[in-house]
Amino acid sequence: MKNFFRKVAYGIGPNEDVPSDPLNWALDQLGDVPDLSWKGKIHSEKELRKHYRDWVYGDRKVLRKKYKDNKTLYKTHKDILRHKTGQKFWESLEISVRHNEGINSQHPVLAKLWMFWGNFFAISEKDFLANYSTGPYHREIIRPNLNQSFEKMVYDVTTSWAMIHHLDNSESAGPKSVTAGEEWRRRKKEPATINENHGRELLELHTVSPKAGYTQEDVIQLAYIMTGWQHRWSKQNLETGNVWFNSEYHQRGKKTVLGKEYKRGKKALASVIKDLVNHQNCRDFVAERLCRYLITDEPTKEMKQPIIDAFKKSDGFIPEIHKAAIKVAFEYNDKYKKFQTPENWLIQVAKLGNLQWPPSPEEMASYELGTKPSRKQRSPERLLRNLGHHPYRAKQPNGWSDHSDDWISPELLIRRLVYAKASYNFSKMENSKNAIYYESIVEKNFDNPSKIMKYLNQKNRAVEKHTLLFNHPEFLKA
Amino acid sequence: MKISRRNFLKTTALTSLYFAGFSGQTYASSSKKKNLVIIMLRGGMDGLCAIPVKGDKNFEKLRSKINLDRTLKLTSDFDLHPALKTFKSLWDQNLSAAVHATNIPYTGRSHFDGQNLMESGGKIPYQEKTGWLGRGMKTARLTGQGLALALPMPLLIRGVPMNNNYFPVGRSLPYPSTLELIQKVYKEYDEKLLNENLEIILTRDFNNRSSDDAWILASSAGTELSKPNGPKVAVFEVDGFDTHAAQGATDGAHADCLSDYDNIVRSLKSSMSKEAFDDTLILTLTEFGRTIKQNSSNGTEHGYGSAILMAGGLVKKSQVHTDWPGLKRKELFEGRDLNSTIDSRAIYASAMSTVFDVDFKKITKEVFWGENLPNLSDKLFKA
Repeated sequence: MKNFFRKVAYGIGPNEDVPSDPLNWALDQLGDVPDLSWKGKIHSEKELRKHYRDWVYGDRKVLRKKYKDNKTLYKTHKDILRHKTGQKFWESLEISVRHNEGINSQHPVLAKLWMFWGNFFAISEKDFLANYSTGPYHREIIRPNLNQSFEKMVYDVTTSWAMIHHLDNSESAGPKSVTAGEEWRRRKKEPATINENHGRELLELHTVSPKAGYTQEDVIQLAYIMTGWQHRWSKQNLETGNVWFNSEYHQRGKKTVLGKEYKRGKKALASVIKDLVNHQNCRDFVAERLCRYLITDEPTKEMKQPIIDAFKKSDGFIPEIHKAAIKVAFEYNDKYKKFQTPENWLIQVAKLGNLQWPPSPEEMASYELGTKPSRKQRSPERLLRNLGHHPYRAKQPNGWSDHSDDWISPELLIRRLVYAKASYNFSKMENSKNAIYYESIVEKNFDNPSKIMKYLNQKNRAVEKHTLLFNHPEFLKA
Repeated sequence: MKISRRNFLKTTALTSLYFAGFSGQTYASSSKKKNLVIIMLRGGMDGLCAIPVKGDKNFEKLRSKINLDRTLKLTSDFDLHPALKTFKSLWDQNLSAAVHATNIPYTGRSHFDGQNLMESGGKIPYQEKTGWLGRGMKTARLTGQGLALALPMPLLIRGVPMNNNYFPVGRSLPYPSTLELIQKVYKEYDEKLLNENLEIILTRDFNNRSSDDAWILASSAGTELSKPNGPKVAVFEVDGFDTHAAQGATDGAHADCLSDYDNIVRSLKSSMSKEAFDDTLILTLTEFGRTIKQNSSNGTEHGYGSAILMAGGLVKKSQVHTDWPGLKRKELFEGRDLNSTIDSRAIYASAMSTVFDVDFKKITKEVFWGENLPNLSDKLFKA
């Protein structure tokens, strides 16, 4: 049953006590959203978006023109600008904050669910979002909603700058809107057309899923409702302006989505989201995804039902949805073991092994804007890329897969082997002198400690024990 | 010469006749091991930079700052970018060719959606969870015969189990005796998939400590593709074609990317046995071409039609196959981009049909949902 601590969180560290009541230990973490436990400076989304602005403006409006005939000088000055705007640093800082929440906070269960929703409402790798904006989006849009309603979460996500940019809604203009009749459109031959991207994903990925049986016309109609939600474009800020509702881009007339009619205007988005989150397929989809993340690739109807019920009863209150999911995970704990994704695995390795990971707040605070970050300061971003599971760099808007088979390939397995071995280099001094270091890890995290210890003791060197422990099937799954 | 669409088609016919005598042996037995290599050119490859049209004054004017001052000769109508040296040397041996004014049927100009569609072969971004190559391999029952030189597994090759991938981690594996213990415990816990993958790792010849430089990946792939029981499909990725600025001409940013492609081909050629290269087809894949007109940063914007570069012994003959749309304003797509007159999925379907020895109709049915695509196998490949 001790795998439960890794199933819903990241395991028990050598200096922590094993909770005597695992289920309540987990449930107690879900009511509030405490401050992040990272002791270093955390930068606001707006502040980091300003750096994003300085980067795109500097590159597009200044350097491209200045060095248009010299690719070497262009490249050199682009690199200088990268460092001036911290382009190579922020995501490592954000990952450090994220991992610290899983490893050192009092709320690792909430941290694991925070990561779930970040991937559910994924911002995938596009432009420079990962460098400046995805981490703050996880902190400022996803996290504060962990004790709010699902409806509010969807609305905040949908109108966030990161998601609007990610799914191109600023490019969407109603063919029957004020802007459609503007002279410059005729002159430049740029008719007002919708971009369906965001509308489609709001249905497919963020609410009802294709199982709801919506049609292409529903997608178009939802895209019409969403026309006008865009970044406030200016010559100075380019695409990094705040999100607003530009009524001049909004499609005139009523729209119909999944058989329901919506009036024109700004408020229609909130209305349609309210209906989508109350659709039965939305509840089923959220339950399916939660079960797949925590329990098994193929959730059963019985598994999903308590989560669906909690969703319905609480009107989509996320703490209640979480509690139901954790209870189901507890109930099925012994029967189903879920293969852990590389990032989950890494955080568990760091926590169980009591490693020097992530880099300390002091280490990260020593970074100076304008300079190249040190190897150590960049290590979170580099390590996660090399593991093939960088949380801000999924390849598609549906985020990283939560199907086990997608995480097993020769190179991905090699990463587990070599980084389990390399994890030894992150060991703290005190642990290497600790004679019962492995015993303590194994005792706290496995139900059959003597069997696991016997396995580890086939090797004498600590580096090999690390490799064996963190590649043991009982560790790879939880 | 300023070629129009009509007189270009005539030229193509003459060119074909001219090369008829040089096409060499075209027989390829179905029992032979044949290889298909796809090199993804991410960012939007400028087909008109790789293979510029000759003597079009309007084109030259629109690209006054990024015209090539030095080119390699291909045909009476098209030149070649000087960075594509290997391609040119293969051309001279009838081992490379190109299709021009082609693209996937996607006109949205987003890298994000375009790259997804070029890999999935679908029409709606993110709808498909498998790639056209993976589905083709599944149709041809090529399980365990794909090699991606990438981490993680590209969408393009997904859809068939047991693909191998190589993207050196730059560190050495644990000691063999430690790995043995891991293998033992996988078996004890009946972890089949983990065990199969560990088996691949332990039996393959790749060096995990080397770097992930493209030429190292290519020479490793070349060696594997030459093995009778090695992979039959390989996938590469080259980034950086999105040259909004300082695209440059002969040695600009686009030239560097074309050179990266050329180096992969060179490395494959030199690491493969002659027999294996003779039975190989290497095709490029990109999400879109670029605008005809240079922008104020001496770069180009996202466009539509591009070109596919083809190399290997299964190329029928040196040729630029095209249904040239012309570059007059009214002939351009939305008045700004080279048009696409050939659905590039027809080329990939024909390539799979040729290399995998699977009926073309079966490929279009099972890979491209029965789309009505023309079979270009006889025109482009040694069927």
